[in-house]
Amino acid sequence: MVPMAIKPRLPGYALGLILCLLALPAQAGLRVFACEPEWAALARALVPEADITTATSYLQDPHYIEARPSLIAAMSRADIALCTGASLEGGWLPTLLQRAANPVIQPGREGLFLAAEQVELHSAHDHVDRSMGDVHPEGNPHVHLAPDRVPVIMAALVQRLQALQPASAAAIQTRYVRWRVRWNNLRSQWQAAASQLEGRSVVVQHASFAYLLRWLGIAMPLDLEPKPGLPPSAGHLNTLLGSPELERVSAILIASHQGNRGAQWLSEQSGKPVLTLPGTVTGEPGTDTLGDLISRIVSALLETAGDQSGG
Amino acid sequence: MMTRKQDRRYARLSLLGLSFTLAGAAGAAEMNPDVSVTLDGYYKQNETALSHRDEGFGLGHTELSLSSPIDDMFSGRLTAVFEDHDGENEVLIEEAYLQTNGLPAGLSVRAGRLLSQVGYLNSRHMHEDDFVERPAVYRAMLGSHYYDDGVRLNALLPVPFFWQVGVEAFSGDQLTEGEDDVGAYTVNTRLGGDLSESQNWQFGLSYLGNRHAGDAHAEEEHEHEEEGHDHSHATTYTGENLYIADAVWKWAPNGNNRAGQVTLSGEYFYQDDLGPHANSGDSNDGWYVSAVYQFAPQWSAGARYGEADLLEAHGDHFHSQTLEESEVMLAWSRSHFSTVRLQYTHQSADGFEHADNTVTVQYVMSFGAHGSHGY
Repeated sequence: MVPMAIKPRLPGYALGLILCLLALPAQAGLRVFACEPEWAALARALVPEADITTATSYLQDPHYIEARPSLIAAMSRADIALCTGASLEGGWLPTLLQRAANPVIQPGREGLFLAAEQVELHSAHDHVDRSMGDVHPEGNPHVHLAPDRVPVIMAALVQRLQALQPASAAAIQTRYVRWRVRWNNLRSQWQAAASQLEGRSVVVQHASFAYLLRWLGIAMPLDLEPKPGLPPSAGHLNTLLGSPELERVSAILIASHQGNRGAQWLSEQSGKPVLTLPGTVTGEPGTDTLGDLISRIVSALLETAGDQSGG
Repeated sequence: MMTRKQDRRYARLSLLGLSFTLAGAAGAAEMNPDVSVTLDGYYKQNETALSHRDEGFGLGHTELSLSSPIDDMFSGRLTAVFEDHDGENEVLIEEAYLQTNGLPAGLSVRAGRLLSQVGYLNSRHMHEDDFVERPAVYRAMLGSHYYDDGVRLNALLPVPFFWQVGVEAFSGDQLTEGEDDVGAYTVNTRLGGDLSESQNWQFGLSYLGNRHAGDAHAEEEHEHEEEGHDHSHATTYTGENLYIADAVWKWAPNGNNRAGQVTLSGEYFYQDDLGPHANSGDSNDGWYVSAVYQFAPQWSAGARYGEADLLEAHGDHFHSQTLEESEVMLAWSRSHFSTVRLQYTHQSADGFEHADNTVTVQYVMSFGAHGSHGY
């Protein structure tokens, strides 16, 4: 027998509160859930009036986010989720999708847009095992700084948003053309910079900037991580210090969310400057769009290169 | 200026890209389920009260888990656990469930054999825990983790913050053998959110109703469970009603868990209607608080304190028992997939035979697919 006293009961005022809260979200327009700030920035360029929730910031490592309550709530209310895919969010996105139980945002459905699936990835592996570190078999997922891939992702996003909001299709198209023109202009500036930067090399930490560096013709002979996903260890740093490649690098490049102890130590020992740059867009002017962020990274690399040749 | 024609070309390019990846994904390897194995082994210096781990070398919660989407509507998971008690090997099915993918109205259904979602720790896999064993209240009242055959319905309420309500109906036989088809059921609600970019929280209330608790037939078996023969983890302390309140608070610098994280959590358990021989005021209760600080990407340290005030059934009367447990641990994780843990447990008890202090060294290693974790 079930005792009567333990049946859940809702007092009248609680019911009233729930009804009030139910009425709230109905007024909002398109709701976008972005796993990383770079996709939020692209969405903002196309649908500036949308209500955009960004799950992570440039100060956070997107591999290690938790499927926390606020994210579950945001995803359950969203019309579309923009994520990287390629296992970048493997530690939290599957739980988030399941807990949010949003019928439109599920693998294989229209509401889940995975950027890495729109383009071909670098460093895809046929064979992967964990002794290699936390390697993504699909390839390097950090595609948001790839000057020639971002427009492809953007074009796919345009189609997805237009399908979702047919009434705004023309406006989205107009904004896309404007974005594309600006991107092309910036791209020619980056190309000019690449001619000065080509052949240089930097020490990196993880493959965060790999697409852009490769595009610029900058080599990455040394990585502070002993294996992908492992923090720099004393033994590995000593190996790097002894490497003949270290002489030729112009800087040690790390992202804002990465611990800088390894980079600082190597810098002190070798005299090479540490460049700490946002790994993705921030809320600050100058790095709040992907185009501006790439320009900022390129100019920081140019300055370092300039210092070197000047000194 | 960009022309329409160029636009169309880019659109086509991206479509090509999409069809390329779709064709790639249809490869045979992608059709295999995700297989993951968790190895859990330990060395424990002394026997302790209410423990599921014997002293000496032993295997803990060694798991084999298969999971996969079934179609666009359903996913499934099968988890088998291998345990060894005094040289006796056991294979237990801990999970065998289907899960819906996105029903309308924020509803989701899980059916089959599943871990109940009561409390904070119960629905988590044991290998995600920060200490070698669950707190004493979990070991006493839920058999460390309560799983059973049944069905769950959860709903996310459409409010601007996280508010989930859920009900579960179970056979109840994993708690207490009995006659009722629905021997146990639960009601659970959770609220949670962010306090700032670096802090977030969750609060939960759960009720577990055990309709078999009153079945007096079980009492004979119960007398012997304390001796360490309790292989199937049937709970030692049962009552018709179990109420649980849980709270979790987490902090990470700028919300970056990789750099460091503090997790404070605590739960309170209250159980009453202990059976036909119990007085109306008889109850079991207990609580714990836990603090874990991941102070570097590969290191974490933690402390936990818990108490349990219990009544152990002996035929037609009860023996009063208390257990206080203080624990400290240090864990090193080479990667996300390997952890080695050193823990010291201090037990101070009344009415338990095997209460003792112990040092335990444990490893938890995962290979194969590594599922994503909850909050």
